[in-house]
Amino acid sequence: MKNILMIGWRTLTKPSGYYSLGVLVIGGFIAGIIFWGGFNTALEVTNTEKFCISCHEMENNVYEELKTTIHFSNRSGVRATCPDCHVPHNWTDKIARKMKASKEVWGAIFGTINTREKFLVHRKRLAQNEWERLKANDSLECRNCHNFDYMDFTEQSERASYQHSTALASGEKTCIDCHKGIAHQLPDMKGVEGW
Amino acid sequence: MTINRREFIKANAIAAAAAVAGVSVPAVASNLITSSDITKLKWDKAACRFCGTGCSVNVGVMDGKVVATHGDIKSPVNKGLSCVKGYFLSKIMYGKDRLTTPLLRMTNGKYDKEGEFTPISWDQAFNVMAEKANDALKKDGPEALGMFGSGQWTVQEGYAAVKLMKAGFRTNNIDPNARHCMASAVGGFMRTFGIDEPMGCYDDLEAADAFVLWGSNMAEMHPILWTRLTDRRLSAPHVKVAVLSTFEHRSFDLADNGMIFTPQTDLAILNYIANYIIQTGRVNKDFVSKHTNFRLGETDIGYGLRPEHPLEQKAKNNGKTKGSSTPIDFDEYAKFVSTYTVESVSKLSGVPEHKLKELAEMYADPKIKVTSFWTMGFNQHTRGVWANNLVYNIHLLTGKISTPGNSPFSLTGQPSACGTAREVGTFSHRLPADMVVKNPKHRAIAEKIWDLPEGTIPAKPGYHAVLQNRMLKDGKLNFYWVQCNNNMQAAANINEEAYPGYRNPKNFIVVSDPYPTVTAQAADLILPTAMWVEKEGMYGNAERRTQSWYQMVEAPEGAKSDMWQVVEFSKRFKVEDVWPEELIAKKPEVRGKTLFDVLYKDASVGKFPLSEIPEDRLNDESRDFGFYIQKGLFEEYASFGRGHAHDLAPYDRYHQERGLRWPVVDGKETKWRFKEGSDPYVKPGSDWDFYGHKDGRARIFALPYEPAAESPDEEYDLWLSTGRVLEHWHSGSMTQRVPELYKAMPDALVYMHPDDAKKRNMRRGDLVKLISRRGEVQTRVETRGRNKPPIGLVYMPWFDASRLVNKVTLDATDPLSKETDYKKCAIKIVKV
Amino acid sequence: MKNLNLAAIASLLVLAVSPIMYSLNANAADKETVNSVATLRDATPIDVQKEPNIIPKVINKDIKQGRNYPMQPPVIPHTTRSYEVNKNNNKCMSCHSRHRTEKSQAPMVSVTHYMDRDGNFLAEVSPRRYFCNQCHVTQLDAEPLVENTFVDMHTLMKQKTTSAKEH
Repeated sequence: MKNILMIGWRTLTKPSGYYSLGVLVIGGFIAGIIFWGGFNTALEVTNTEKFCISCHEMENNVYEELKTTIHFSNRSGVRATCPDCHVPHNWTDKIARKMKASKEVWGAIFGTINTREKFLVHRKRLAQNEWERLKANDSLECRNCHNFDYMDFTEQSERASYQHSTALASGEKTCIDCHKGIAHQLPDMKGVEGW
Repeated sequence: MTINRREFIKANAIAAAAAVAGVSVPAVASNLITSSDITKLKWDKAACRFCGTGCSVNVGVMDGKVVATHGDIKSPVNKGLSCVKGYFLSKIMYGKDRLTTPLLRMTNGKYDKEGEFTPISWDQAFNVMAEKANDALKKDGPEALGMFGSGQWTVQEGYAAVKLMKAGFRTNNIDPNARHCMASAVGGFMRTFGIDEPMGCYDDLEAADAFVLWGSNMAEMHPILWTRLTDRRLSAPHVKVAVLSTFEHRSFDLADNGMIFTPQTDLAILNYIANYIIQTGRVNKDFVSKHTNFRLGETDIGYGLRPEHPLEQKAKNNGKTKGSSTPIDFDEYAKFVSTYTVESVSKLSGVPEHKLKELAEMYADPKIKVTSFWTMGFNQHTRGVWANNLVYNIHLLTGKISTPGNSPFSLTGQPSACGTAREVGTFSHRLPADMVVKNPKHRAIAEKIWDLPEGTIPAKPGYHAVLQNRMLKDGKLNFYWVQCNNNMQAAANINEEAYPGYRNPKNFIVVSDPYPTVTAQAADLILPTAMWVEKEGMYGNAERRTQSWYQMVEAPEGAKSDMWQVVEFSKRFKVEDVWPEELIAKKPEVRGKTLFDVLYKDASVGKFPLSEIPEDRLNDESRDFGFYIQKGLFEEYASFGRGHAHDLAPYDRYHQERGLRWPVVDGKETKWRFKEGSDPYVKPGSDWDFYGHKDGRARIFALPYEPAAESPDEEYDLWLSTGRVLEHWHSGSMTQRVPELYKAMPDALVYMHPDDAKKRNMRRGDLVKLISRRGEVQTRVETRGRNKPPIGLVYMPWFDASRLVNKVTLDATDPLSKETDYKKCAIKIVKV
Repeated sequence: MKNLNLAAIASLLVLAVSPIMYSLNANAADKETVNSVATLRDATPIDVQKEPNIIPKVINKDIKQGRNYPMQPPVIPHTTRSYEVNKNNNKCMSCHSRHRTEKSQAPMVSVTHYMDRDGNFLAEVSPRRYFCNQCHVTQLDAEPLVENTFVDMHTLMKQKTTSAKEH
C-alpha cells in the first residue's frame, strides 16, 4: 500500500518524460472541466429548494411560513424558491455566501436551531444578517425578478406607485427597507428602522 | 345640505338686508348644522346584542331611529371599547327584509304544511297556533308541546316562557340554544361546586400573571376580553399567555406558548398537569385537605347519540349511572393520574414535551397567579363536563381559585346565556336559581312563588335541544315554537334530524324572528319579532353581571317582542283547556281564568303599575298589557334567588348601573365567590367555602381520557372543526345584513393546510365538497388567512346561511350535559 | 329614501284598512315578502345548495369610505395580506403611528387610541388597542345580499332643516 502511494508521488513530482506536453495540457484541461463541472454541479445541488428543506430546521420553520405568502402562491404562478432570495446569482458572491454557509452546517450538526423555540430565539440575528446583505447589495436578489425599469406604476396601487416612483427611484430606499417580512414571519422589530 | 334655488335667493336676500342693517344672521345655510335642537342626539345605555362578554354600549337615537352606537366609557367591562360588530350595532335592525307581518304556509286561503308563506294578521296567527297547540294537547298531552328558546332572550322573556311552558302548559319541553353553547360548563360547575357560574370575574384579567386559553379563540369570539388580556400581557412584561387549540388561530398572535393538540386529547393534557403538580410536590395540601374531596367518576358513558347507534350499544355505562361517582382519597387520585406522564401525553396529543412541561409549571408554580379561560373547545365536547371538571381539579390542587387573578373561567357565547338560560333556568331540567324539576322540594318552592297548586310542575325533565329535533322527527313533539335563535342553521346533523323533524307532516312549527332565517324558512308559521332596543330588557353576562336597558325606538309596524308574543298567546287558553280537573280542584279560584290571568296579570308579575315607568320612556308591551310587565317578571323571578346566594338588586337600580354582579347583598355586588372577605355567603372563619355542596367542599374528579365519537379513517380522512368568526355573530342573521360586516367576511370557506390541499390536487378558491357520513356541503378552499389548521384537520365557520356546514356535523353529545360536539367529526373533501 | 316612502305608505295602508280588509291587503303587499324568505340563501330550499361565489378580492383602492356615524371605526381601504400584528410587531403602526404618518401620509390613529382603561393618555398607543383588526376590517369586493335601510343622522338633520325652513 505504502509502495503504491510512493510510486504515485514520484510520478507526480518527476517531470514527465513519458507524455507529450500536448497530452498533458489537453488532459489537464479535460480533467479541469470534469472537476470544475463536478464542483459546480455539487454546488448547484445545494442551491435547490429541495436541498434547503431537507433539513427540518428549514422545512418546519421558514418554509412552512413561506407557503401562505405571495412569494409561494400568486396569480401568475411564478414562485420564489429559497435560493432565489437567499443565494446570490453572481459567482463570487455565491462562493462568499457558501463559505458563510459552512456555519449553518455547523449549526445543523450541533442543533443550534433544531426546535422552533430555539429558532425563534435566534430569528432576529438571522433576519438581520439577511437584511444587511440585501441592503448592501441594493436588494439584488429582489431585483433579479422585480426590475425597477419595467415596473408599470399605473398597475400598482396608489401608495405603492408613490413610494416606488419617489423613494425607490431616487435610490433613497431599496426594496428591503420597506418589504421586510414578506416571505417569512418577522422577529421582534423593536429598534428596527421604520418600525 | 341641499337647498333649492328659491331658498338660496331668499337666504341671500336676507343676509344682504341684514348686512345693510349691520346685524349678522346665523347662517343656516352653512354646510355645518350647528343648531343644538337639531344636532342633539338622545343617548342611552344598553347591553350589546352580541356575545357573552356583556359590553355596555351607548345608543344614540334621533327621530325614532338608532343612528349611532359606541362603547360605554362608564362600563367596567369595556371602558369605551366595542369590537367591530359592536360598533355596527346601529345597523342590525335595519336590514331591508325585516319581517312585519306573520306569515303562514297556506294553499287557497287555508293552512297547508306544503303551502306558500302568506301574510296573515296577528289574530289569525294566534288562532291557528292555539288550534294546533290544543290539538296536540288533546291527542298526546303536554309532552307533545315544546319550545326552543335562547340565551339571547332577555331575562324577562326567558322567565315568561318558562312560566308558560312549565306551569301553564305543564311541560318541561323547553330548552335554550344555550344547550349548544355552555351546558357542559353548567354540568361542570354543578358537579364540582354544586352551584352554577364562575367564581371569579373580569377583574381577574388585570390581576393574573399567566393566562391559559383552552379551546377559546378569544381574539375573535370575545374581542373585548381579548383587549383586556392583551393590555395586561403587553403592559406587564412578566405575564405569559398559553394557547391550546386543535388549529392555529388569531389568539396565537399573542401566545408565549402556543400548542396544537390532536382533537380530544385535551383530557389527557389536563390529567398530565394534575400529575405534574403531584409529582413535583406542589399540591397545596392545606387547601386541598380543608376545602376539597376526591371522587372517582363513572366511565365509558357513551356519546349521547340515538340509543340504536352502535356506539351507544357498545357503551357500558350510558344509562342512569353515567354521572355517578364514588369517594376516593388523595392517594387513589394520585395513582389514577400517574399514568398521564409527559411522554405518553406528548405522544397522544402531538404537543412537544417541553411545551407541556412549560404549561404544567405555570400552574404548579405557587408564585404565578393563573387564569384559565375556555369556551366552545371544552364545552362542545363529548366529554365536556369532564373537561370542565378536570380544569377545576388543577386550580383546586393548587388552591388557585376565587382570589384575584386565580380563576378557572368559563366564558359564554350568548349575551344572556348566564342571565337567562342558566339563572332563569330555561333548560328542560331546570327551574330558576339552580333548582331542578326532578327535586320535589324545588318544585314546591316554585309552585309557592307562583301561587299555583302542588303538582302543577311536572317532575320529569323534558326534551333537551338535541332530543327535541329527534322527537320532532319521530313525530312525538308536534307543536313547536322556536324563538330568538336559528337552530336549522345551528343544530348538528340537520339532514338526518332537524330538517325532517321540522317538515314532518305531524308537526306544526312556529318561528319568531326579526328576519327570515333558515329556521324561518323551515317553519309553518313565522312571527315578526321586535329586537334589542325595540323593547325593554335585561341580559346577564359571563361574570354574573346583570344589565338592563329601556326601549329606545319603536319596532317596525307589525313586529312584536318575544315576551309580548308569549304573554299574548297565553290569553288564548283557559285553565280548563290545559289543566286536568284534579289540579284545578286544588285551587278552584283559577277556574274560568286564562293562563294570562293566572301566570301574569293576577300573579305578582302584574303588581307594578304603569305609573312606575318614566313618562318619557317607550314601553310598548307594558302599555299594551296595562302593567309594568318587565319589572313584574323580574321581581317575581328575583324572589327565587334572594337569600339563596343568587341575590339580585331591585329592578330600578339596574337602570342606574352599568350592571351588577350577583349575589348583590346589602346593595353590594360580589366579585369573587367562595372566598371569605369577598363573598358574604362564606361562613366566617372558613377562609374558603364552597357552599354549593352541603359539606362546603369542592370535588376533585378522577376521570380518564376517552376517544372522540368519530375520528378520521381511511375513507373520511380529515377532522372537521366548526366555529365562529369575529365579524359575524353566530348564524349571521343580524351581522350578514350589515354591509360593512358582510363585506369583511362574506362567505364561509374551508380553511385547510396548503399541503392537504396539494395532496388532493386542490388550491385556494377551488370549489369543493365536504362529505361526511351524514351529508355534504359545498364551499371554496382557503389555504391562507387567519386560521392555520395542521395537516389532517380543516376548519369551517357556520355563520353562512348559504353554506350549511351542519349538514355534515355529527349530533354526538356529552351524555352528561347533552351538549353537541361541533369540533370533531370525520369528513373527506373532494373537488366538485 | 324610496324605502322609507314605501314603508310610510305601507303603514298608512295598514292603519287605513279595516281588519276585514286585512287579508285583501295581505294578498296585495306580499309577493315580495313571501319571496324574500331566506334572503341570505337567495331563496334556495334548505335541501338544495347554490354554488358558492368565487372568493372576492380585497378592495385595495386606498379610497376612504364614509362613516355611518362619527364613532364608527373606519374600514381599511387596502389589503393587509401578510401584515403581521402579533406580540413581536404591529405592521399597521409602521404607517399609522404618530411618528410615521409624516413619511407614510397615512391617517394617524385617533387620540382615543392613546387612552388606557381609565381614560389617561399614554405616551404611546394603548396596548388595549394593539390588535387593530378587532375593530378595523378590510372590505372584499362582494355585493351585500340584503340592502340595509339605516339612515345617517346627517340625512335626518337635513330633513329637519329643510322642513323647518318651509314653515
